[in-house]
Amino acid sequence: MKKAMIQTVHLERVYATGAVKTYALRDISIEINEGEFVAIMGKSGSGKSTLLHQLGLLDKPTKGSIIIDGNDVINISEKERTRFRLYELGYVFQSYNLIPELTALENVYITAMARNLKRDEYEKMAEEILAAVGLEDRMYHYPSELSGGQQQRVSIARALVNKPKILFADEPTANLDSASSEDVINLFRKFNEEIGQTIVMVTHEKDEGDKADRIIWVKDGLLDMEKNAGYLI
Amino acid sequence: MESNDLKVMFFLAYKNLTKSKITFMVIVAVMAMSFLSITFFASIIDGLGYEFEEGMIRGQTGHLMIEPQEDDLYISGSGDLVKDIRRIPGVVGVARRLDASAVARYETIEIGNPVLFIEPENEKDVSDYWSSIIAGEYLSERDTDELLIGANLVKSYAAEGDTQKRFDVDVGDKITLSFSNGFVKEYRIKGIYKTGSRFVDDKIIINFDQYQLIFGPTEDIASNILIALPQRGMEGSYTEKIIDLGVSEQINKWQTKMGAVNQFVGSLQITNQITGTIGLLTAFATIYIIIFINVTNKRKQIGILKAIGIKKQIIMGSYVLQSLAYGITGVIIGNIVMKLLLLLLSIHPLSMPIGQVVPILTTERLMTTSATLILASIVAGFFPSRKAADENILDAIFGG
Repeated sequence: MKKAMIQTVHLERVYATGAVKTYALRDISIEINEGEFVAIMGKSGSGKSTLLHQLGLLDKPTKGSIIIDGNDVINISEKERTRFRLYELGYVFQSYNLIPELTALENVYITAMARNLKRDEYEKMAEEILAAVGLEDRMYHYPSELSGGQQQRVSIARALVNKPKILFADEPTANLDSASSEDVINLFRKFNEEIGQTIVMVTHEKDEGDKADRIIWVKDGLLDMEKNAGYLI
Repeated sequence: MESNDLKVMFFLAYKNLTKSKITFMVIVAVMAMSFLSITFFASIIDGLGYEFEEGMIRGQTGHLMIEPQEDDLYISGSGDLVKDIRRIPGVVGVARRLDASAVARYETIEIGNPVLFIEPENEKDVSDYWSSIIAGEYLSERDTDELLIGANLVKSYAAEGDTQKRFDVDVGDKITLSFSNGFVKEYRIKGIYKTGSRFVDDKIIINFDQYQLIFGPTEDIASNILIALPQRGMEGSYTEKIIDLGVSEQINKWQTKMGAVNQFVGSLQITNQITGTIGLLTAFATIYIIIFINVTNKRKQIGILKAIGIKKQIIMGSYVLQSLAYGITGVIIGNIVMKLLLLLLSIHPLSMPIGQVVPILTTERLMTTSATLILASIVAGFFPSRKAADENILDAIFGG
């Protein structure tokens, strides 16, 4: 039996504007196993990205708990959360979010550099992962010199260079044409199958969700129990 | 902070600086111009003040001025005293003078004027009359019937619209001097001098020996003795050396003899301090705003770096380093341009009514301005980057 990589219990995220409270997430209890490729789906505004942000430690939930690889990540210090993001988690954003002043290679190795690695080591790691996403001939290009699909592949390489336990992707194909979108999903599939990478991806494309091992449906900030039947704890 | 944190910090700062060359150049240009705007104006004012003082030193007081005690009219035994002082190592020049007043007359114009009796050759070492001759020649030791006249007394050198009574004379014309004892003598104008100092350029100068002719035999007296030293700031030590010679007369430093000039230069310095402080504050605010805008524009980038696990301290440090680079480069360029300007203006001084003014940039002002601008750049890098780094990651990336 595979071990649980992510567990949430009664997760809640409330945005308060004065006296008005907006429940972005309510009572989310899920479990994602190690090596699983999970898609989070739902309509626009359903709370799927908010859920991903909580799981990826980019935001703090109002209530509930998140356990990642056996670690309670809610009650840890900001410093520890930063360390967790660097060593254990990887992110792929919808709009790539590369640093424009860095080349593809530098964008990838910046996170490896932040670990206590030697230059030879982090450069080699970055070159290998860029080669794995098919960008060995674009390493010294700046983001502005790359297509959207290529930038997203750099973003995936950056997310994976530190061999994170979990890769989070927030609508990674939303800004891409269909061919590039397929490339990105195939890369996820490849890393999931070949190295057992745990992947949590938010998407609103059913075709992409179908390529994941499992889909978690979110509706109005709640788990869509009807669609999720049989998948949840 | 670990060593690899510093490595990432420097790496990010370096990449931002080298990739954003236009931003770098604009900010550095603003820094350099701020530096220049503060230091250049201040150096002109300082140069102006210095020139006023120098005009007085080289015309009226010397670095040190020996004067009779309050109860005496003259210094007696002045010739021997001059010789003794001249023997003190380092003394550049010693000259004695006698002061009197006379009514000068040319054609129908009569003006009451101070008359200065000098030893022409000795005087060359303590004052600039000899090098300020603008028409004719300087006095020689043998001149008995000649005088020098200050440009302020000559009509042709008056400013346009000036209605003050002056003589319409030129070199070679004869002026009659009537002294208080009734002695009257006609002197030929040998030269007209103009030092640029209005306190100096209104005198009639004749030979020291003429005093005896006019006022009768005297016993080696002088109204004062001027002493020129190698440079300012040595007055204290030379005063002690002169006292050691047994001199009982008053030994005054040039600062105590400045009178109205002292007040004027003091006012200039206060004005300079006020404008300098305002200039520094303005530059501080300008630099802060420019760097603040630059860092604020990188808010999303700061959010991304935090999201991928880069420590807040590294991010802030990289922006402080960038700001420091802006500050140091701007100050260095400002310094270089300022030095070139000072060099240029030392070769071609600014011509002002008081004379040729060379801007003076003191080390203190240079250091204060440089340090303030660099500090401004550090502060301007630190606070906005800390604000952005403290922000919620999602707000920083997506705006909120």
